[in-house]
Amino acid sequence: MSLIDKDEALIIAALKGSAYAWEKLVKRYESKIYNHGLRLTGSSSDAMDLMQEVFLGVYRNLHRFRGDAKFSSWIFRIAHNKAVDMNRRKRLMTSPLKFFADDGDDGFEKFPGKKELEPENRLGNQEQNVHVLKLLSELNSDQRSIVELKVFQSLTFDEIAELQDVSKNTVKTRFYSALKKLKVVSEEKNVLS
Amino acid sequence: MSCPKTHYILQEYFSENLLTVARDELDKHLTECVYCNAQLESVLLAQQNLRQWQDQRTPHWDRGLELFRQEHRIDRPVSRFWISWQWLPTAASLAMLCVLLFNVSVVSNDSGFSISFAGSSDLDSNLDTQLVEFEQAQRLEIKQLAARVAIRQDSTNLQLLRAVMEQTQQSTADSFDHMYAYFEQQRLLDLQDMRASYEQLVDSDYETIRSLRQLVNYVGFQSDIR
Repeated sequence: MSLIDKDEALIIAALKGSAYAWEKLVKRYESKIYNHGLRLTGSSSDAMDLMQEVFLGVYRNLHRFRGDAKFSSWIFRIAHNKAVDMNRRKRLMTSPLKFFADDGDDGFEKFPGKKELEPENRLGNQEQNVHVLKLLSELNSDQRSIVELKVFQSLTFDEIAELQDVSKNTVKTRFYSALKKLKVVSEEKNVLS
Repeated sequence: MSCPKTHYILQEYFSENLLTVARDELDKHLTECVYCNAQLESVLLAQQNLRQWQDQRTPHWDRGLELFRQEHRIDRPVSRFWISWQWLPTAASLAMLCVLLFNVSVVSNDSGFSISFAGSSDLDSNLDTQLVEFEQAQRLEIKQLAARVAIRQDSTNLQLLRAVMEQTQQSTADSFDHMYAYFEQQRLLDLQDMRASYEQLVDSDYETIRSLRQLVNYVGFQSDIR
């Protein structure tokens, strides 16, 4: 990547009003953010909404980016905050009964997208992605968020702890619980199939 | 059979910055403990299942460019050439306005050009005279032209009439010739038909006489026999 193509150079150019630099910056991260949203929400329209909110947030706060951390970490911090906001909004808009209807007594709060997950319809023939979404839909929002950040974004436990404003041990525990749950679900599916 | 350390071991297994000593201890336990090893395998398999995700293509969107352009007040890119010459139409309009307001006159004569402001009476009268003369000359020319056109039109009409009459005469003569030839041909055909009819009639008369003669002979022969 040439010097002029680096994130920092693009950010400086975008702040000076270069639409070309802004578009290039967005193009570089839009797929990651969209897929991040898709895995978190299970819905392409929600993922689009989330992505647009993220880039709006990036645009509004671009002048505050100091370059202390990597731009990718910064943008995923915004994405995480927006996802939490979206989760909260959906929880408020939807009745609690809906969230817990299929949840049994495990006490986990399901991510709002779970009831709306229709991966077969949304992703066509991409069976692998459908399978992944089905697995993720079994996790609660905190677990899903940690799995997303750890497995797909390759963040460290320290980074995730800072991002979610919880202790590192909490993150570790949640991550392990999530993997255990995924293990159980996978085994159940294997037995049924 | 379970292991009391499984939860701690697997939790730490995914830590990135584990001390070397701790990592060695962890690996040692995983090698020795079958249960923890099996649990780790199944958890890693679950993680592996998640990694099968294939990135979806982002649907089309404007990437916030409209907002970006609005907030930075970026218009459509305009050529620098047109930007540098955009004063020209304004200047031309202003110059035309001045010409109208100050009644500027530009006169060309043998000695060259002369420009006068607010007009002049001599110039106006001279211009009127020139206009009247020009009008008369134009009227005269139009009359002459009309007369020439009328003469030419008469001549053309005459020629056309003559040609039509000649054509008519010629066609009438041809028609008479054709009629005469037709009647003559018809007459000859009638004569031939009449001659053929007479010959046929004569032949049939001969046949009748011959039959009568044979009948008479036959009757005479019968009488002789009796």
